[in-house]
Amino acid sequence: MTIRNALRDHGQRYRPRMACLKKAEKVLLEMQDPCTGVKSQPQRLVITIIPHAITGEDIIAWLADRFQIDAQEARSFGSMLVALGYIYPLQDHKRLVIKPDASLYRFQTPYFWPTQQWPVEDTDYAIYLAKRNIRKKGILELHEQEQYNHLHKWMNHKWDFVVMQAKEQYRAAKERKKPDRVVFDCQERAYWVVHRPPPGTVSAMDYGLDRRTDPNTDETQTPDYYERIMIFTQQSIMRPRVKSSVSIGALVKYSATYSGHDPFLSKCLPSSPWLTDDTTYWTMNMSNVEIPTKMRVERWTFSFKELLSDPRGRDDFRLFLKKEFSGENLAFWEGCEDLKWGTAVTMREKAEQIYKTFLARGAPRWINIDGKTMEITVKGLKHPHRYVLDAAQTHIYMLMKKDSYGRYLKSPVFKETLKKAICPEEHKFNEVQLEQNARNRRPSLSPIIIRQQEQEQRAKMAANAPVDITQLCRFTTPVPHLAVYTGIPDPPSVTASPSLPFLAHTPVCPSPISVALDSTSASERRMEASDGEGNAEVRAPEGGNLSKSRMALSLRRLLKRGCSPSAMFASLSPKCHTAATTSSRIQPITPDEPSQAPPRRIGNFFQIKVDIPPECRIYPIESEDEDEENRPASRDAVVTEEIICPWESLTRQNGTG
Amino acid sequence: MTQSKSKPKSNCKVVACYRHLASCVGGCTDSLQLRDELRQTREKAQKLAGDICHHLTSHLRDKSLPDGQRKEMELLWVAFSSCLELLHVDMCKVLNISGIVSLADSASLVHTGLEGGCSDVAARALSLPNLNQAQTDSLPAGLESQECNTMELEISQIDRMIDDMEMKVNVLRWLVEPHGPQYADPLSSTDSASMALLSIDEEQQAPTSQPLCQRSHIFVLLLLLGVFFVAATLSLCIFFFS
Repeated sequence: MTIRNALRDHGQRYRPRMACLKKAEKVLLEMQDPCTGVKSQPQRLVITIIPHAITGEDIIAWLADRFQIDAQEARSFGSMLVALGYIYPLQDHKRLVIKPDASLYRFQTPYFWPTQQWPVEDTDYAIYLAKRNIRKKGILELHEQEQYNHLHKWMNHKWDFVVMQAKEQYRAAKERKKPDRVVFDCQERAYWVVHRPPPGTVSAMDYGLDRRTDPNTDETQTPDYYERIMIFTQQSIMRPRVKSSVSIGALVKYSATYSGHDPFLSKCLPSSPWLTDDTTYWTMNMSNVEIPTKMRVERWTFSFKELLSDPRGRDDFRLFLKKEFSGENLAFWEGCEDLKWGTAVTMREKAEQIYKTFLARGAPRWINIDGKTMEITVKGLKHPHRYVLDAAQTHIYMLMKKDSYGRYLKSPVFKETLKKAICPEEHKFNEVQLEQNARNRRPSLSPIIIRQQEQEQRAKMAANAPVDITQLCRFTTPVPHLAVYTGIPDPPSVTASPSLPFLAHTPVCPSPISVALDSTSASERRMEASDGEGNAEVRAPEGGNLSKSRMALSLRRLLKRGCSPSAMFASLSPKCHTAATTSSRIQPITPDEPSQAPPRRIGNFFQIKVDIPPECRIYPIESEDEDEENRPASRDAVVTEEIICPWESLTRQNGTG
Repeated sequence: MTQSKSKPKSNCKVVACYRHLASCVGGCTDSLQLRDELRQTREKAQKLAGDICHHLTSHLRDKSLPDGQRKEMELLWVAFSSCLELLHVDMCKVLNISGIVSLADSASLVHTGLEGGCSDVAARALSLPNLNQAQTDSLPAGLESQECNTMELEISQIDRMIDDMEMKVNVLRWLVEPHGPQYADPLSSTDSASMALLSIDEEQQAPTSQPLCQRSHIFVLLLLLGVFFVAATLSLCIFFFS
């Protein structure tokens, strides 16, 4: 609150360069030239005659002549001069446009010209409003009244000064001749219409946020300055070059594709919130909306990047991938993004978890990347950093783009979404409603709250979602936070997914958990894979609680020994059934019978479309059988052999158990 | 105390007059006379400012000042510093304008519609009954650059004064409470003529629905109706009694 903020804080508090102002000043000085400028005429008020009034049509004609432009452009140029405040209208002073008729304008005095150097002070505005109130009480308009009260509140300490100065200025004005007084009042009024626009209009001097550098200071020629220039030119030389035809072609294509979707360039349904103050457009396009708009869905077809960057599109894609059982790709991609953008503290664990879940041999959600990329990634993971998974992520991204994206666009999921997408009707507001909207403007949710909501939603999804694990191995540890990326359960169709609070206890009993989780998708697949496999019995413990499922498990073990498993399932250790699995879909899984496993396994291999190297599939089963035999002995000690990350210990390999 | 109050008041007056004079710079009424008036007003303002600054600083640095007086001083301080800021900005603007629009090139002076000079305003500022100005027709060479230099010096002087003030005295502005009312009362002699001119100006615009206008129309209508009824009653009375 000092007069001058003497802090050299390099803060953002400078007004930006406004190069147009200097240029407009030059034009104005030419225009007002009595010989070569716009011809002026006197303005006749009741008793007085005030000279130097110019008509709108004359201004436009002069501009068109001087700059050799057509009338329409001259009109916009003239309107710009009026909007900036260099010329002000004498009639209808609140609308700052040039009318191409005989309506009168006058040149603004240089004192009231807009400047870049000095901001328009609120103190001056307060003095102006006080002056107007002195002249005639109650003449202030509603918005001016509100501003006046607002200024009175926060500039209260200066208020004596404001009132005193207003009185003095008023008295000083009385010393002038009447016509001059009128002219001065008009000038001042026009100045404040430009800089404190009435509600519903925008000031042409609005420049957004303050800038970091002061354009009025000359830059000193220090060695730093020259070094910056050198670096800049070196980088410019090193830049890769593209033919201008190619780059311009890309620009044209981009503009043509997106111009219909730009809310400023083309019509925005239902109505542009920036124009009508009605926020339906934003609420309809929020990220967690159930039914997207048609325009949004159309955007998803433009490119894969568009689809992924829109949260609603990503959800749709995730749903599709879930149906195709290649959800691990998207989950891996999201995990990499999380790693890249997350906090540095969590990076190491995240990298580990991603490796264990997606990349390691025998990982539950193994992704298919080529050997070389895998090699690079694993090597990089020894010293994990933010971008260590970049190569793998790019590979998966290209895989999804070339393969899944195309299929997604032809899939029933997308077609369904497209069919359900809504096309809102256009709002038609009249003046009164527009004013009401402007008055009912409320700030949107604070970003802190939005972030909290997102986190809650993510936690909810993590708790609810069925982990669509394609492959399961008792050596894996399901990860709590990675369950995030397992997708939203289908809203209507999915039967109550198992709530998995026990995911928090991961180190304790991994395998049965993952088994229990997998049972949902596994049985799904099993049903698809094998028909008439006594599925009715599989579905038997519908709505069963924990004990029931356990019972059913032991029952099944007796009866369903010959039932074909899908992938490898870890043996169930009853001790670990601590979870409150209230879901009806918990299907206990029968462990394999080694004798019968191989023939069916191959059959399922093809039906399940799980892309896992066979050798990886084999060994856990073998070890599983061993463990199954050993289970009664080792029941007390829950052995959890996790996948060892290669950088943790090179001696203990993830061997055969 | 009255003496210490009168000086800030007159400083306020001078700054207000300076603003009026500054608004004419660069316009068609800009002339050597105006520049001269500006210079004189400026000098007076600076002299007053120096005095007040000295006076207020010495009082406020005096630790033994009683509370009531201190509050008064702080109020004056706030008013004075705001005056100084206004003066500073006005001077900068005048300097800027004289750089853009030169007096020498009379055709470039903007035709703003003003006709008369501001000598009365200047007279008010200098507290003189009238200003006797010697009319100098020709522009002495180098006057403008000289003027620029002088102005720059004066601006930097004011700058330093402001900085000094901030350094020497610590006044917590937000604790200062004003005495006066929120609304400046309309002065006794309201300027009806120029008001009328301005309001005609407004009425010449495209007919926008002004609720104020409609209200006044309705009021006038009601008045006429009332008069009409009174006349009707009177005529009826006459009819009955004659």
